[in-house]
Amino acid sequence: MRNYENLVIVKPTLTAEEIQASVKAIEEIITSNGGEIATTDTMGMRKLAYPIEKNERGYFHVIYYSIAPSAITEIERRFRLNEELLRFVTIKYDTNREIIAFNQLVQKAQKKAAAPAKEEVAKTEAPKAEEAPATETPKAEEAPATETPAVEAEAPAAE
Amino acid sequence: MAERRKYKKRYCKYCEAKVDFMDYKDVGALRFSLSERYKIMPRRLTGNCKRHQDMISTVIKRARAAALVPYTVTRKTVVTAPFENLK
Repeated sequence: MRNYENLVIVKPTLTAEEIQASVKAIEEIITSNGGEIATTDTMGMRKLAYPIEKNERGYFHVIYYSIAPSAITEIERRFRLNEELLRFVTIKYDTNREIIAFNQLVQKAQKKAAAPAKEEVAKTEAPKAEEAPATETPKAEEAPATETPAVEAEAPAAE
Repeated sequence: MAERRKYKKRYCKYCEAKVDFMDYKDVGALRFSLSERYKIMPRRLTGNCKRHQDMISTVIKRARAAALVPYTVTRKTVVTAPFENLK
């Protein structure tokens, strides 16, 4: 099992219910292929940076899940057949550092989905993480190249 | 040359902030390494280290594929204020 993230852009011409239905169908594709959805993040209707199939807007939806690597080709094939999707982006989270980032992203998305009271907890945690690296900045300025191993070691503290 | 002076003090801002992973969906964070025409800024101007420049370039390319950041800006679209959509 490997961690993946899929961003899908659904056509804006559909009605709200149709969009929800197609998002459900997309999640169904992942689960039916043996994937476990960690969390989902709705970015909502956004303006696209450039028109895709003459659409200026799109409904963005992000799905975090873990699945066997061999199933990704099948999922992408099904996505390509789906005419309601304008675009999809699959990101692999493979290395240790990426997996830590993946877990943080999942937590962030879960907090966003939960009550706004929990978002304040996230805000109080964030400054603490920033204070720690700030004390060591002079070193980083002098020798950024040599500093990189330390950056890797402190992976959980960052961000 | 004026642009050059803006970036004169060269050190990697990502090393300073101890950035370990960049999220392509967080488009506001990519602004620093994008030019007005949404080109990836070169390392000689931003002072990024090689490691973080590699990271930012893959992240920007992902964001382009996801239609969060444009590939090109033509003369028509450049008139509107740059970076208005990403913040």
